[in-house]
Amino acid sequence: MSASQPDPLPMLSGQPNAAPAPASESNPIRDAIAEAIAEHRVILFMKGSPEAPGCGFSARTVAALQALDTPFAAVDVLPDARIRQELSAISNWPTIPQLFVDGELIGGCDIVTEMYETGELAQVLS
Amino acid sequence: MPSAEDIKQRIEAAIPGAQAEVDDYTGGGDHFRATVTAASFEGCSRIEQHRLVYEIFGGEIGGPIHALSLKTQTPSTIETH
Repeated sequence: MSASQPDPLPMLSGQPNAAPAPASESNPIRDAIAEAIAEHRVILFMKGSPEAPGCGFSARTVAALQALDTPFAAVDVLPDARIRQELSAISNWPTIPQLFVDGELIGGCDIVTEMYETGELAQVLS
Repeated sequence: MPSAEDIKQRIEAAIPGAQAEVDDYTGGGDHFRATVTAASFEGCSRIEQHRLVYEIFGGEIGGPIHALSLKTQTPSTIETH
């Protein structure tokens, strides 16, 4: 389950503030998010953790993935407001949670729940 | 603070031919649930349909509108549900 997977955004946890990024277009948070999406087949950006979701919508999305026994990486967006900001800039999607499979945005809670109910989620994940 | 009626009118004004049913499910003016039916959704994926609705509200989503839960459909898919 997700807890056994390495932290998908290690650069945001544990590292003391490195030297500030040069005032260029470099955007380490955006790059780290894009990399995490590319490296994990199934990745959920959520509020809180799968064990302790911080929002009902995140909880429902986790429940759908767990009901299908899907291993997934999870990123908590709450510790740093920039994660959510950069994620939405990448995905063109305003709300949390956001589920990505094979690098593609599947949707938020509404779409994931609907796809779970119709069986489409199981297909996408298989 | 927007009301369910405001949200409904804004969706219907922004998407030609759309019909929206909106309810404020906590009564607090910041958590809404909308079902939007529009012929212009035809040919769009679910993601694209939801984006069309979210775009109407821009930065209000996640701000004054904490949650806008969506179900989108086209008139032709309605019968199958």
